[in-house]
Amino acid sequence: MKRKSFNSLSTKIVLSIALVSIVITLVIFVVSNKINKEAFHQIEIEKANIIAQTIEPLIALNMYLDMEDKINQITLQLIENPNILAVKVLKNDNIINYVESKEHKEEVGESFVVKRTITQPNSSQATGELVLIYSNKGYKKLISKYTDLTALLILSLVILLALFGIYVKKLLYPLRQISKLLKNYSPNKNIEIPFISQNNEIGLISSALNNMQKKIMQYSKKQENINHYLEEKVNEKTLELRAQLYIDTLTGLPNRFSMFNDIVETDDGALLIINIDDFKEINDFFGHIAGDIVLKKFSNRLKNMFKTNEFAKLKRLSGDEFALLFIQKPPLQEFIKIAHKLINDVEKMIFFNDNNEISIRVTVGGAYQIDGGLEKADIALKSAKKQQKSFLLYDENLNIEGQYKENMEWVKKLKRAIEHDMIVPYYQPIFDNITDKIASFECLVRLIDDEGKVISPYLFLNVAKKSRLYSTLTKIMIEKSCMHFENLEYDFSINLSVEDILNADTVNYIKAKITQYNVTNRIIFEILESDGIENYEEVSIFTQEMKKLGCRIAIDDFGSGYSNFEHMLKLNIDYIKIDGTLIENLDNDISAQIIVETIVDFAKRLNILTVAEFVHSADVYEKVKELNVNRTQGYFLSEPRKSANKE
Amino acid sequence: MKIIALLLFILVNFSYGYTYNKLLLKAQASIFPKIIMLDKKIHDKLIDGEIVYTIVYEKNDYYTALEIGEFMESNYRQNKSKYSYKINLVEFSNFSDETQTTAVYVLNSNKYIKKIAQSATRKGIISFAYDMNNLKQGILFSLMLEKSTVLYLNKENLNTKGIDFVDSLYQIVNFVEKSGS
Repeated sequence: MKRKSFNSLSTKIVLSIALVSIVITLVIFVVSNKINKEAFHQIEIEKANIIAQTIEPLIALNMYLDMEDKINQITLQLIENPNILAVKVLKNDNIINYVESKEHKEEVGESFVVKRTITQPNSSQATGELVLIYSNKGYKKLISKYTDLTALLILSLVILLALFGIYVKKLLYPLRQISKLLKNYSPNKNIEIPFISQNNEIGLISSALNNMQKKIMQYSKKQENINHYLEEKVNEKTLELRAQLYIDTLTGLPNRFSMFNDIVETDDGALLIINIDDFKEINDFFGHIAGDIVLKKFSNRLKNMFKTNEFAKLKRLSGDEFALLFIQKPPLQEFIKIAHKLINDVEKMIFFNDNNEISIRVTVGGAYQIDGGLEKADIALKSAKKQQKSFLLYDENLNIEGQYKENMEWVKKLKRAIEHDMIVPYYQPIFDNITDKIASFECLVRLIDDEGKVISPYLFLNVAKKSRLYSTLTKIMIEKSCMHFENLEYDFSINLSVEDILNADTVNYIKAKITQYNVTNRIIFEILESDGIENYEEVSIFTQEMKKLGCRIAIDDFGSGYSNFEHMLKLNIDYIKIDGTLIENLDNDISAQIIVETIVDFAKRLNILTVAEFVHSADVYEKVKELNVNRTQGYFLSEPRKSANKE
Repeated sequence: MKIIALLLFILVNFSYGYTYNKLLLKAQASIFPKIIMLDKKIHDKLIDGEIVYTIVYEKNDYYTALEIGEFMESNYRQNKSKYSYKINLVEFSNFSDETQTTAVYVLNSNKYIKKIAQSATRKGIISFAYDMNNLKQGILFSLMLEKSTVLYLNKENLNTKGIDFVDSLYQIVNFVEKSGS
């Protein structure tokens, strides 16, 4: 921080007074200079006038008495006056006497003339004129003297101010001394402030400071005691909070943070993550209090289970997740054995709540290494859950990390493709089996990568679902497909997942777009049966709304799932697209033929048209026709293409 | 020898009258009337509205007086004055307190000067003398031609009742006291 420059108060006072004095002096000087100069000049004129006035009667008398020699004497006497440069006496406009001094020529330039009428002594009759040429020398001398005096005055003033400044500094010196002393002041230090004995304001300030110092010292001591007390309290609370930070309040087990610390301090350990299967159901069914009781009892039993193992530390990671950290790695076989024993022992555990018996199962993920152990055990746990295994040990060969990375790459690619408008629909024709003509097109999503390659949805659709980009893809497909068929006469179908149908925003978007492009009578929504339609009510509302608008509904991959025919009927569908797995071997697979025949028969009774997908050969195509499937779609007849116009 | 020569000179002078300086006479004739005009109370001294200037002389100085009178009259004619001038010639022996005059000018005399001076003082008449030594006997003014023209004034008789000159006059005169100059 920039230090403020010191501004001496005494200097300020002296400078202020000096400034005011100088200004006043200058003003007085300027004004008096002007007045005095004029006065001096007037004095000189007056002097000249007085001389003329004094001498005029004599000259008048001499003139009257015709004593001109006397006049000459007078004028000669006059000219001896150093200020008179010349004297001229006129009698009836005739010069009767004229004298001038030696300096006349030099000084006549700076002179003035005084004229006086000569009157006869015994009457007021004018008989002549007296002219004096008067030098300004006297005036100049006066001005010079005046200037000298003023300079002397200013010099005296400056000296006085300097002395005054020194005096003020001396007066304020004690304040400086006090401020110097106070610079090093601290409440614990007693400073001897001098000048207390002075019987003036400095003495009063010193005395007041001394009193203040005593009070501050007293207050400081009190404050110190309070601080000491507070510090102790803070320390106590800190310890308490630290304990809370590392201890799970429900089970009393060390928590996740405690485990992080232990992992850091462990060089060669191993880790098991224990997750209670479907614990949510216990909470939902028996209530949270029962859930908490189960968790407490479960943690106690786990504690008891490993209380003899000094290297195994039990932690609670989250609601239904526990960890067993081995700070020293046991042999691998023993490690696996511990995991299995744990699973078996838990299966045998029975918890009681209000006469209800509650049994639990756990899934365990293990990492036989401490470096990245938590993440690895977690991956193993998730893989075990996926594979419906009770225990899985993390294996580098599973390449789970690689899959994660690949998924993340696909998310990036997807985002980039959306950003650069590289998600496009491809159109695959569906042929009428009676006329062999195109009955409609199915719009299939494609991603065009940075190299211009067309990427199949099988590579990115699942990633899109996980990363919540799926609804964006649906919207793009709706917009682009509707726009494409706006001016074409063909019917066209778009795939919708149950997720799309349950998303109100997506549904509103669909309604807006099919209305905007006026394709309500030509669009067919293909709903995937293989998704497992659980929310029949919501799906049914959607299909009814769409049918009101004139749209048609198809069930895609029919036969792949476990669809309830009764529910399917409620959806009031127009098409059934028979699952590809039934079609692809239709020419040879008798069972498939029977199922397809049944589906076709069922559909016909309900006036639902059937479509066979994945028709890849002439034999399959023939069989499809033979089984009276209404329409055919497949590479045998036509691959998906960029435009519906292209034959 | 020198003393004898001096005594002879004095004797001759006594026998055949006084010798006047003509230039001085003319100067006095020119200036003295003007001095009368410098009296601020001149109007009290007028005789029938005129300034009467009386020249007093010894019998043997009659022609000198007459010459002066004529000179003054000719001068007076040239100069325009507020008052008219009248020149009177009176012998010393005939001059008395009854002589009506504004001013008196005395030529040289051995015995009458003091008498006339006293009369002038009594009557408040301005008195002039040819010889400045007469001022010691009480005459008021005289004039000498030295390096320049010098007016002499008898200081003791200045305060004579009825005489009051313009101030400037006092600045140009040389004062003479009875005891000396």
